[in-house]
Amino acid sequence: MTWLRLVLQNGARRKLRTLSTAVGIALAVGALFSLVSFQRGYQIGMRDELDKLGAHILIAPKGCPYDAASIALHGASWPCYLKADYLQRVKSTEGVAEASPMLMNALTDQVSGSQSVYVGANLDLLGVKRAWKIDGAFPLADTDCLIGSSIAKAMHLQKGQQFDLPCLKGETGSVSGILQSTQGADDTFIYVTLARAQKLFGRPEELTHILVRLTDPDKLDSVVAALRGCEAGMDMNVVPLTHLFRTIQRMVNSTRLLLLCILAVGTLVAGAGVGNTVLMAVTERTREIGIMRAIGASAKDIFLLVWLETLTICALGWGIGIVGAMLGAHGIEVWLRARLPFAPTGTLVHPELGTALACLIGALLLGSVAGLLPAWRAAHFSPIEAMRVGSGV
Amino acid sequence: MEFRSPAEPDSERIISTPGKAASTIVEARGLTKIYSRGVEQVRALDDVSFTIAEGEFVAIVGASGAGKTTLLHLLGCMDAPTSGTLLLQGETTTNLSDAALTRLRRQTVGFVFQHFGLIPTLTVTENVLLPLLFSRRKMRNYAAELLEKVGLTHRSNHRPHELSGGEMQRTAIARALINSPRLLLADEPTGNLDTANGEAVLELLQRLNADGLTVIVVTHNPILAASARRQITLHDGKLVSDSANIRP
Repeated sequence: MTWLRLVLQNGARRKLRTLSTAVGIALAVGALFSLVSFQRGYQIGMRDELDKLGAHILIAPKGCPYDAASIALHGASWPCYLKADYLQRVKSTEGVAEASPMLMNALTDQVSGSQSVYVGANLDLLGVKRAWKIDGAFPLADTDCLIGSSIAKAMHLQKGQQFDLPCLKGETGSVSGILQSTQGADDTFIYVTLARAQKLFGRPEELTHILVRLTDPDKLDSVVAALRGCEAGMDMNVVPLTHLFRTIQRMVNSTRLLLLCILAVGTLVAGAGVGNTVLMAVTERTREIGIMRAIGASAKDIFLLVWLETLTICALGWGIGIVGAMLGAHGIEVWLRARLPFAPTGTLVHPELGTALACLIGALLLGSVAGLLPAWRAAHFSPIEAMRVGSGV
Repeated sequence: MEFRSPAEPDSERIISTPGKAASTIVEARGLTKIYSRGVEQVRALDDVSFTIAEGEFVAIVGASGAGKTTLLHLLGCMDAPTSGTLLLQGETTTNLSDAALTRLRRQTVGFVFQHFGLIPTLTVTENVLLPLLFSRRKMRNYAAELLEKVGLTHRSNHRPHELSGGEMQRTAIARALINSPRLLLADEPTGNLDTANGEAVLELLQRLNADGLTVIVVTHNPILAASARRQITLHDGKLVSDSANIRP
């Protein structure tokens, strides 16, 4: 006979009630765990994205910087364009180490609905994307194509192979190289020379964006100021990516704070539910508590028993909540991705053991507080009065 | 054994019971218990005095509302008297704290209830072991020994709802004995049992008493009352007689 056994047996008396109370805690724990895991995953994803991008500044046509960053990172058609001659002004700005001109366009297959993203670039891109590993060569000739690893796999393309460019009827290309997996959106792009892209999409002397790498990232502010102040500055959107990501992170954090406030109310309600359930259980077992006092239980023992019962319900709720959150992580990720204005390509929900343990401590603290009233009440029953309950005396 | 004559409630006349030899385990001096029911005050016990020696088998009898159960609860330190003094093994219980009373109850007293008071979710063995959980002792083997003593070894893993009334009461008796008390208090132990089971419980109580355990039973059962060696009769909260049963 152990305390745990006694506590579990008491909880098992009214399984449905215990379970429904635990579910209240589970919802709070699951939501908190998911929220913290999302925040962590988002942070990691953003940092990853930034690392993979290799650029410190994105120069895009005038418009929303968040949209521009999202299109540049994930691939899509651009609504407006930059003049190609801005590139020289950007390159000549002090502090700029590399500036890679890009022309991006996304085409959709009318039959299958699949999307192909073409990126026109020149060798300057390799100065920005320093982590890239290419099996073969970067496109130099007009028909050369560098294929992202996912596309190469999907289309079964090999180095040196001739193929029809998807969504571009009558156009062919030759695989000059295959980009090794970057675990990012780059894996899904088809890279051609800038000149060919401009020709294919009818945008001569135009660019969609310029990726800029600095000689010294600490001088970001001064370079951004110089770019904004140059002659073309009025027509360009100079987006410092670190700042942009920081701003996005701040926005996500403010949303998180709001959600945490709502969650705190939900948690308090769940705690009150647990307290109420245990109080009800104590009232139902008043006579039994009197008998326990008669056979040797002290007031402290009764307090401990009821308090442990509350903690057990909270621990059960924690378990259900964590398992539920883990099982639902994929669904949450899909749901969030569809709603966020900017979402990194990596996993959005990043569950960690530390988070789960922190949730357990939180749930037990909640149970500790919620269990105080019923435990105190049970411990202060007069044994004799308690034994009279239900006996008709 | 001593008692204060009910005919002379205020007198100090003490009558000695023939055969007194063992040490006193219970000494009640002028125990009075008054309950408040709204504006009305109910005198459940009125100046009751007696002593019980170790090894006695005492039946407390009387009509319903005579104060039998109230007296049993006072003897078991479950309730405090409004006035008067109770000594258990020579120790005054009147001014003891709740924790000290619990300790005394745990070490000295075993309780048996009319409605058995078993925990429905626990097995027979677990019910018997429950008091040990509260006294932080581990004596699983002793539980098995007790179950054998009350003839319930074969039922050790059953839950109370799977037992007959007699088996439930024998489980309750085993539970009352697990802390090796010196005093067994039983409130109508045969009240919910049929004749056969009642007799089995009575026989068990007699056996325990023969082994040296002091037994006090509150009962309406004339057979049980007659089988006790001494009978205390209460009427309207007063002790009206305290006599030794004459055995054939």
